[in-house]
Amino acid sequence: MSQGSSSLLKPDQTGRKLWKKVLEHRYLYFMLLPCIVFFIIFSYIPMGGLLLAFKDYKFNKGILGSPWVGLEYFKTFFSSYQSGQLVKNTLIISGMKLFLYLPFPIILALMFNEIRTRWFKNVSQSILYLPHFISWVVVVGLLQRVLAPDTGLLNQLISGLGGDGSTYFMMEPKYFYQIMFGSHFWKSIGWDSIIYMAAISGVNPDMYEAAKMDGASKFREIWNITLPSITPTVVILFILSLGNILSAGFDQLYLLRTPGNMELSDILDTYIIRVGLQSGQYGYATAVGMLQGVIGLVLVVLANRISRKVSETSLW
Amino acid sequence: MGKKWAKLFAIPLLAAMFIAGCSSGSEDTGKESKETTVSNTNKPATWIADRKIKGLVFMGTDDYTEDMNPEIKAKIKEQTGIDFEIEIMKADHSIDGLIAGLAANDLPDFIAFYLNNSGRPEMPVLLKAAREGMFTDLTPLIKDTKVYKKYLEDDYLPIDTKYGVMFRPEFEGSTYLMHMNINREGGADTRKYVGGPYIRKDIAEALNIEPSTITTTDQLYDLAKKIQAGNFKDDNGNPVTPIGPSYWGGQEETRLFADLEWGEYDQFIKQDKSGNVLHEAESPYVMKKIEFVQKLLKEKLLQPEFFTMDESRATEGAINGTWAIIANMHNYQDFVQDMHYVPVGPLNTIDGPYEMQVDFKSGYSGWAIPSTTKNPEEIVKFADYLASRDGKLLWKYGLEGRDYTLDQDGNPLVKQEVLDLKAKDPNEAKKLGFGGVGNNWGDLLGSTDIDNMADFGEMEYGDKLKKDADLGAIKIAELWKWDEKRAKADVIDGYTPNSFLGEFAKGTELKAAFDNYRDSLVKAYYAKSMDEANKIIESALKQMRSAGLDDYLKLVAEKNADPKTKVKF
Repeated sequence: MSQGSSSLLKPDQTGRKLWKKVLEHRYLYFMLLPCIVFFIIFSYIPMGGLLLAFKDYKFNKGILGSPWVGLEYFKTFFSSYQSGQLVKNTLIISGMKLFLYLPFPIILALMFNEIRTRWFKNVSQSILYLPHFISWVVVVGLLQRVLAPDTGLLNQLISGLGGDGSTYFMMEPKYFYQIMFGSHFWKSIGWDSIIYMAAISGVNPDMYEAAKMDGASKFREIWNITLPSITPTVVILFILSLGNILSAGFDQLYLLRTPGNMELSDILDTYIIRVGLQSGQYGYATAVGMLQGVIGLVLVVLANRISRKVSETSLW
Repeated sequence: MGKKWAKLFAIPLLAAMFIAGCSSGSEDTGKESKETTVSNTNKPATWIADRKIKGLVFMGTDDYTEDMNPEIKAKIKEQTGIDFEIEIMKADHSIDGLIAGLAANDLPDFIAFYLNNSGRPEMPVLLKAAREGMFTDLTPLIKDTKVYKKYLEDDYLPIDTKYGVMFRPEFEGSTYLMHMNINREGGADTRKYVGGPYIRKDIAEALNIEPSTITTTDQLYDLAKKIQAGNFKDDNGNPVTPIGPSYWGGQEETRLFADLEWGEYDQFIKQDKSGNVLHEAESPYVMKKIEFVQKLLKEKLLQPEFFTMDESRATEGAINGTWAIIANMHNYQDFVQDMHYVPVGPLNTIDGPYEMQVDFKSGYSGWAIPSTTKNPEEIVKFADYLASRDGKLLWKYGLEGRDYTLDQDGNPLVKQEVLDLKAKDPNEAKKLGFGGVGNNWGDLLGSTDIDNMADFGEMEYGDKLKKDADLGAIKIAELWKWDEKRAKADVIDGYTPNSFLGEFAKGTELKAAFDNYRDSLVKAYYAKSMDEANKIIESALKQMRSAGLDDYLKLVAEKNADPKTKVKF
């Protein structure tokens, strides 16, 4: 109805109507302004730099003046012996962080929601949020000490229990995924649960009361009311996170990498830093970075389309 | 509506123009020389121009300082007319800062960077910038200088500096990078450095072992076994680790396993007795070394994180005496001046008994002038002033009267109170603003043509006031028979084997493969069996070969055959 009526308006009238609405909600738009400025400065303007992926960058000519090289860098990357391993490692690590990790913040949010003692809820939430504010440098430093062979806490515990306390966990590939996932889990779960907590708090309490009157157990309430109510939030967040499937987290992996686990921990993000910043191959690094972005975008679009068809929940 | 918008834009625009018109425009003065306003009659002979010179330094704040002392700055201004200022670009790795800085293409009057030799990772980046016309040709500018013109003399520069860094054949006589810290005399020493493994003196004495008799890795192994059996404790009462990492953190230490090392660490390339240039992975030594390290690790004689430990933990272990043997340190470190650690060996190399090798001359750090800098000759003149004796006196010793007096020979005599302040409160002393107290800014443009003994009558700042007999560093050097070894030393001049990666077609790929080999070697040390270790090394060798190792080794052999590009293996 409203669409039909607006299409009958002349363009000038539409514009005026839009301005009127903007004026009416000016405070909300004002609050939105910093966010828009942020994205323009840090996300849209730098996109111009993507041109580097197709250019042989010359210091004296700048991005626009440097000669074009077409798809040269993409060909180089895919013909490199490292590319297969790098893509595989990135997909495994980001897959673990996306799929395997996904239910845990939701479960934590559900658990928080069921805590009735206020002070205990506050304390436990704070304890779980805190690791988010510790930088990866500190977290990996702690891990190195805790997992150190012979002198580390874990190895001392193992030897105290009669085992061999000399395992060099950080150097052995077989422990890499556990260390990577465990540290990510510890650092992120509390913070990531906040958004689900917010979604849960938006569930209509009448539904719980109705369920109670129908004799539903706590588990039934969670399963049949809470989870379906927050499903749209979960789906939207999942779709958005798919955009980062080829970015497995630079800081953590760069710091956790040792000669022992390098065949598993070398990912596209660390490769980009190595070739781009440390070897000065700007164009090549931009091309690899662009691949990450483009594949992420395609996945987001696809997942959004599938989700719209299957669950009627989608980003657009 | 349109008029209203025009008005709205016009007001801030006018305001901006007004503010801009009132500002001093000091940003521009940095790049442009001002008209000299000072009367000619009052100018000293060292006068250059009334201008500002700003430098951007792509090196660490540990090594250089951007906070200058106001009195020193005033003295520079008085002597040269220059208002000197430096800014240190902070980055995780200095090369990251250099690459980002060059890419941004917004450089001040000069830039300074690490550059030990043409094999350093910064070199390909600097070469790219030089080839693309980012820097000013320095050759015509140094012709009329007093100190830097020596760089144009035939036998002054070491060959790597001459043909690898500065006057590269491709530049046909031009030079864009100034290599610094060149000694005036070939083979000259500035300090009696004794680097390599050290052992805790009390442990060596308790075991009745003379550390200088440890010359092979087998003897090192026996010593480590004895230390382990001795149940020695560190300062905290914890058991010691027989062999700990280097004072500066975990990495492979060439001097610890010297008779099993094929070439220098990070080079791994050497010529065999029949003249073939080989990579370590192709030599029989690699598996011997792995076997030895695995044995040490298995028997808990080597700290398990020996190759990967971060610097803070490694240093902590050294300070607490947790490492009975520290894999690498040197005699000038403060914590060893009481000689509670003493040098082990030196260990033999794979070529036979240890022989000291002294570089004919070696460079360290460099600077360049961006092509956007106005009047670049003034930067060169200023660098020449800082490299002169007067300039060095200022940036090394500070101000006459305030920080030093002159003795009868005209050499500086450091004031005792400055030395006392340096010992008591190094940060406060640093504020005095010169090299002797750890405030390093003058080295950037002025540290070359070095001969401290001839210029100032002492090798090190304040040596004249120090009693040599009390100095741990000198005592350690005596213990190690430094003078005797120096007398027999080979003075060598040449390129490092990896210096030619920049001109090798697959250089970047090969560099990545070399890095992978270095990591693979560590991985092999921790392999469960020798078979597994062998497979790791084979795989790394395969990668290096597919990245052009064979062609590169041929290139190194060819370069070595040319007297202009002799390689020091």
